[in-house]
Amino acid sequence: MSTLKRKRGGKGPGGKKAKKVKVTENGGPPSKPEQGQTHEISVPAPVSLGKWTNKERVLIFSSRGINFRTRHLMQDLRTMMPHAKADTKMDRKDKLFVINEVCEIKNCNKCLFFEAKKKQDLYMWIANSPHGPSAKFLVQNIHTLAELKMTGNCLKGSRPLLSFDPKFDKEPHYALLKELFTQTFSTPHYHPKSQPFVDHVYTFTIADNRIWFRNYQIIEEDASLVEIGPRFVLNLIKVFQGSFGGATLYENPQFTSPNMHRRQIRLATAARLREKQMVRELQKIKRTEAKEEVGKDITADVFVTPADEKPVQIETEPPERKVVKKNKHKAFKRQRMQRGR
Amino acid sequence: MEDLEEGDQLGMESEEEDSELSDGALQEAFAKGLLKPGMNLLTPAPKKLVNNLDGLKQCLADFRKDLPWVERLDLTNMPVDDIVAKAEGKLPSPTSREVNAEDDFQREMFFYRQGQATVLEALPLLKQLGIATKRPEDYFAEMAKSDQQMQKIRKKLISKQTMMEKSEKAKKLREQRKFGKKVQVEVIQKRQKEKKAMMSAVKRYQKGMTDKLDFLDGDQKKPKGSTEASKKAVTKKGPNAKRKYKDQKFGFGGKKSGKKWNTKESFNDVSGFRAKVAHGKGGKGGKQGKGGKQNKRPGKSVRRKMKGRS
Repeated sequence: MSTLKRKRGGKGPGGKKAKKVKVTENGGPPSKPEQGQTHEISVPAPVSLGKWTNKERVLIFSSRGINFRTRHLMQDLRTMMPHAKADTKMDRKDKLFVINEVCEIKNCNKCLFFEAKKKQDLYMWIANSPHGPSAKFLVQNIHTLAELKMTGNCLKGSRPLLSFDPKFDKEPHYALLKELFTQTFSTPHYHPKSQPFVDHVYTFTIADNRIWFRNYQIIEEDASLVEIGPRFVLNLIKVFQGSFGGATLYENPQFTSPNMHRRQIRLATAARLREKQMVRELQKIKRTEAKEEVGKDITADVFVTPADEKPVQIETEPPERKVVKKNKHKAFKRQRMQRGR
Repeated sequence: MEDLEEGDQLGMESEEEDSELSDGALQEAFAKGLLKPGMNLLTPAPKKLVNNLDGLKQCLADFRKDLPWVERLDLTNMPVDDIVAKAEGKLPSPTSREVNAEDDFQREMFFYRQGQATVLEALPLLKQLGIATKRPEDYFAEMAKSDQQMQKIRKKLISKQTMMEKSEKAKKLREQRKFGKKVQVEVIQKRQKEKKAMMSAVKRYQKGMTDKLDFLDGDQKKPKGSTEASKKAVTKKGPNAKRKYKDQKFGFGGKKSGKKWNTKESFNDVSGFRAKVAHGKGGKGGKQGKGGKQNKRPGKSVRRKMKGRS
């Protein structure tokens, strides 16, 4: 499909999408654009009139060892961005600057490279290919287009609105990232594969020192939105001056590599276990150690009172029983109660 | 001052730039004053993080492409004001805009509102530039998610809704049953109470404590309403007086209530004494003078005629 030659000026690609009906953007009666020049009603231009000037192409690909979620995320990004190109997986033994050459071959000037390590951690490189800056992120919380909770939908290849948090303007590294994102994610005007309507918006927000990405569909003119997906969270690691290399311009102080993170968790649990064990051992020792015998009770003298000591009497026979005499003059209990005793 | 007492004092840490542990070097360092007496621990130097502000700014300046807004379509804005929080009075101050990343709902609402603010700002701009945002109904084009996917989503939503409705219904039914049981119990209790009241009223009437037969009419009053007011008055007093007298005289039957005993009180009670009746004054003549036929019994022939006639 990309080999179809496009005519410069005049008709746009006609039979590309079979379902597509040529409709004016005003929603008026479909009129043929060839007759546009003679019509008195102003017919807005179809998608591409050869005015595509902003030649921005993004290469999206990955290294080996990615899992299904990453693969779907890449596919989703390619779906959403009509100015994106795909490439085969890169071998791990190749160094990163090889990517620059791949980009040159494909005639792309931006690159989104996904790198999977240990089949667990996903890193994303976003770079401006020949000379420009690049940044490495750790990607977390990936949700793809195919999730059933993302109920929105948009035209394939429609141009997005980009929404940035004001925090992006406050720090220079964020400002640089904002520029990178803008140039990478915004679809060029009059791109041949793009659709003329703007019906979705990407939001980039900074929270908890991470960049949160969301994609919403614009349903109504009063800005009611529904999420389309995909969504992910980017944790900045470093910003480099060159593409996939070069001097480090910025390092994120709050970033801990996932390895370190896992290690810390493991150490914490190990420390807890060790402490428990130590406590148990101490208790055992306490229980089994020889207890010292206390000969004299030092508190015995507390109750010594100055009094005559009685001679110790030992009774050899049991004492006599006391004789209980009945008191005949005592009234019956009931009578006593009646009397109100 | 020159003797190092290691192990006596704790916690005196000092950073060592060069980790030379040879004795000679240590002695030199101490002499210079870099080491202090006490236990010295080696701590790793704090990592120096790169934050090349100038480099970043320079890079940004080089990298930036001055494209017209229509190419970029980017906006930077604060989220729309949260109406719900305002209504509840929990609106955070505009300065403390830190969104709590842990609170999922708040966070997502924050992103949503940010998107909303952008859309509200951008739509007029797009209109000015002539870029449409609303897709006309007959514009069919490939969508990012296939129709199959959308069907699945729709099915899931519907199933969720039905499940919720079912659970709501079940809950309501349970409540109703509980309520119904309560109502039933109440009705039964009410009936028992009424029966008890009725029986006690009847008993009281039997024993002559009250002479009103209101309790009989008590049930019938409410359904009948206020249409037969006059009839009620008549029915109240008419048979009641005669009935009352006869009941009083002869009683209900059954066990005597013990109201006709000749006790001291009843002997001393002279309320039933009518002087006129007892002494016969103006009884025979006076009555017949006013209304002739009150007590006079007609003759045999007249009675026979009446009998035949009726």
